[in-house]
Amino acid sequence: MNNLTSRQRKTTCIVGILVLLVPIVILGMPAGDQTEASGGVLARLRTEHDLGESDLGQIDPTSATMNLVLLGLRGVAVNMLRMDLDHYKNTKNWAELRATTDAVITLQPHYIEVWRFLSWNMAYNVSAEWDAVPDRYYWVKEGGKFSQQGTRRNSEVPELYWETGRIWGQKIGRSDEWKYFRKYFNPDKYEDYEGSVDTAINGEQKDNYLVAKDWFADANVAEDARVQHIMMRALFRSYPARAQLDYADALQREGKFDGITVTAWQNSFNEWTQDYGKMPFKAPECVLYMEANEDDVRQMASDNKVDERIVQKWLKHYQHTTNYRYWRSRSHSESQPETGDAHKFIYEGEQLYKQGELADALSTLTRGMGLYATILEAHPELSSEDLTAEEGMWAVLLWQKILELQQKPIPESFALRDLWERHQGLLPELEQRFNRLGL
Amino acid sequence: MSLQPVEFELLFGITQWAIVFGSFVVLFLLVSIATSFPLYGTAGPGRVLAGMLRGFKEFASPSPRRVYAIASLTFKESIRKKALLVFVVFAVLFMFASWFMASPSDRPDMQVRNYVAFVFIAINMLVLPVVLLLSCWGLPEDIRIRSLHTVVTKPVRRNEVVLGRMLGFASVGTMILLIMSTVGFIWIQRQVSDNVDLFCRVPVYAVAGPEGVKFLDRSGNPSVDRDGNPAKGVNVGDIVETRSFIEGGTRAAGVWTFPLDEQADTLKLESRFEAFRTFKGDMNRSIRVRYVLVNEEKSLKVPLPTFEVDEFGTNEMDLARKQTFTDEQTLEKKEVDIYDDLAVPSEDGRFGSLVVQVQCLDRAQYLGVSRGDFFIRLPDRSFTTGYIKAVIGVWLKVLIIVMSGVTASCFVKWPVATFLSFKVIVIGQVARGFLDKVLSGKQAGGGAAESVYRLLTHMNDTTVLPANPLTSSIQLFDHGLQHLLWMVKFMIPDLRSFGMSDWVARGFDVPWGGVMLPSIAITVGYFLPCVLLGYFSLSMRELEAK
Repeated sequence: MNNLTSRQRKTTCIVGILVLLVPIVILGMPAGDQTEASGGVLARLRTEHDLGESDLGQIDPTSATMNLVLLGLRGVAVNMLRMDLDHYKNTKNWAELRATTDAVITLQPHYIEVWRFLSWNMAYNVSAEWDAVPDRYYWVKEGGKFSQQGTRRNSEVPELYWETGRIWGQKIGRSDEWKYFRKYFNPDKYEDYEGSVDTAINGEQKDNYLVAKDWFADANVAEDARVQHIMMRALFRSYPARAQLDYADALQREGKFDGITVTAWQNSFNEWTQDYGKMPFKAPECVLYMEANEDDVRQMASDNKVDERIVQKWLKHYQHTTNYRYWRSRSHSESQPETGDAHKFIYEGEQLYKQGELADALSTLTRGMGLYATILEAHPELSSEDLTAEEGMWAVLLWQKILELQQKPIPESFALRDLWERHQGLLPELEQRFNRLGL
Repeated sequence: MSLQPVEFELLFGITQWAIVFGSFVVLFLLVSIATSFPLYGTAGPGRVLAGMLRGFKEFASPSPRRVYAIASLTFKESIRKKALLVFVVFAVLFMFASWFMASPSDRPDMQVRNYVAFVFIAINMLVLPVVLLLSCWGLPEDIRIRSLHTVVTKPVRRNEVVLGRMLGFASVGTMILLIMSTVGFIWIQRQVSDNVDLFCRVPVYAVAGPEGVKFLDRSGNPSVDRDGNPAKGVNVGDIVETRSFIEGGTRAAGVWTFPLDEQADTLKLESRFEAFRTFKGDMNRSIRVRYVLVNEEKSLKVPLPTFEVDEFGTNEMDLARKQTFTDEQTLEKKEVDIYDDLAVPSEDGRFGSLVVQVQCLDRAQYLGVSRGDFFIRLPDRSFTTGYIKAVIGVWLKVLIIVMSGVTASCFVKWPVATFLSFKVIVIGQVARGFLDKVLSGKQAGGGAAESVYRLLTHMNDTTVLPANPLTSSIQLFDHGLQHLLWMVKFMIPDLRSFGMSDWVARGFDVPWGGVMLPSIAITVGYFLPCVLLGYFSLSMRELEAK
């Protein structure tokens, strides 16, 4: 090299640069459009495997900038932030925890488990640390909104839609504080609560379960294109219909037994048996759907070219796993006006007892128990389910307590006696609930 | 979690400093005399003493003019080295900071905390490395390019070189810090929503020591452990045990003793307790708490109105000087004066001290309390006051780094000096707690050699070591190391109190006694040893050896 002149050295360098430029262009040329044939090798691979930022969801310039600035130290930075996060949780520094959560996700915008864990952490763990119910609700919302943000950044991932649906459905509707949470979520539907709806989570001012249903439906749409890894497919696909069932159930729990509840149950039955029940699932030995009579079984066996017993075996397995028959019977029975009446009488009997109207409470509960027994006779499979058994047992317990107060003997024979004897195991818990309510 | 007040005794600190500094001087003298024998024979000790005498003489009469000249040259040199480029990064950070920060719809306390924390993290991350590199590179670079030769041949003493360098680098750091903190202050004011007030609380915490906060058990007797020593309240299983819990619906209580230094018509009591429920109870109502003002000698117990705890928020109560109450024993209506009747004579406050019991009223529910959770709130100070104090905290850190960097660069080359100073900061600020834990023997897993042994044998850190010669020698070795570590502890400054921004971020003024004073004392305490060490190192250093 020392023997070359300055011009020769420069020319050699320029030639070297030009030679190296060729593979760089071939490999790294950016894509001109969204077609798979556009751009260099890397761009084509990125499009083929959906690895581009725009393929994964909404682009966040902050995240891209941060990852660029950190060069190769993203992993180290995330580790440190995660340790900080734990520290803030242990020392109950919630402001820092919230800010660090955002920082972590800025660095790991496409790491699904991080979105899932952090949204759960806020909605379930952090919210439980607070004493006041509005504070708890604030953190549930933070967790839910965070999960919603995750779906925007990762629009193809069914798990995140499902997690969001779970927070708006199960967390709001099944927490110990569910009565308050449901009011905060949809204040317009409650006359005794004046508040405003958070449009970021419930722009259409729906019930929390119906919002959850929309998210679960979106999860199913995403699942059509991409496999989810959190549960059996038949269970995952059931959630929109389950949210509708939960909606109807929640109305009942709130003491609403009029037309809206019956309609909700009718819709539940239709969605469970028609939308979900007719959904095909690929079992190991055949493809099946769960709303099937004998003719359907025969047809499925013929379509799958297998013996009918194989279809029946897998059908039973799937129905058992998804609790299909229970929800079918439950939604069917609840769609009947007399079931609504049974719930109504039991609920009103309890309210009358709380008000000290013992005579009225006793007669109302007796009517409710009678109707309830009739329903269980028509749908015997319901009596083995805890929720149904619990309501019947609760009615009998209240009825017996009233008789004790009135210093009357408990008759040998009474409606729901079979249920009462079969589910004695539930009694200690119900007694505890009775004592806690101070009735 | 509330900020916990820290106690600092200046006299004890000065005594400790004198002992450590004196010990090092004596040790240095003895080692110097011992090493002078092989070099200069019997004349060695005399030469050492003469050298030291010369050094002290030079220290006694430094020339401010020469120190200023070197400092101004250092300042210009730093600017020429493009130190101010750090402002470019600073500007970029602040231009895009709002992208990273939470939205304005967040809770007000979160907004302020995040913005203040961001400003101080940015300033720390930008100023400290710049100052560290400048101060560690300066002298070694002068020696390398031999510009120091022209300086030391002039009538400039080496202590003036050290002092001038320190002053110059400190000026650069100060200038950068001032500009950044001013921009940061304006940025916070603009970012925080209009409905958020910026202010600094001035708390008066319970008196120092175990007398400050005591606990009564469920029978109303002083809480004691199995050995009869004073104990805290109930442990509900929190991982961090800063808070202790008071059982509700019993006679259990936390007893705070506040010093009364000022008389006022109204005292404001503020608390931020935690609620812990063993059952849900009435969810729509928080746990109920009450304060009782107590003067045991006069058998006075003045219950204040019950309130529901605003968990992780603030519970404020204005307390009039004259209190009318119903005596719970005699059911008589009485009136008392806080200062005349309730204050207990004590040396803690000019007007005695006020004893307040905190009780939880709900049965089977618990109230989490810690010393810092409850205080008397004096009139607030402006946010600017707290912010300036927090900036002073960063400035003191800059000074420590400059002193450490310049001193280290007097006896080692720049990479080693940088590493050494960096370690001083890391250990002083981040690993100081760990160091204390290791030295106190509370760190599970033992010392360095024992940890290696446990790692290699897959033994967890709580298992008792088997008794054999190997483990005995390992523990003996660790014992020796621990003594060395003990010495290191006194050489490395404790920088934990320098992080004052946390107080401002949480809406508190930076306390003088527990935070400002120790930080200033540590900085001043390190000045003389650093200058002396730098001077003698530079005097003994062969400048031709690059």
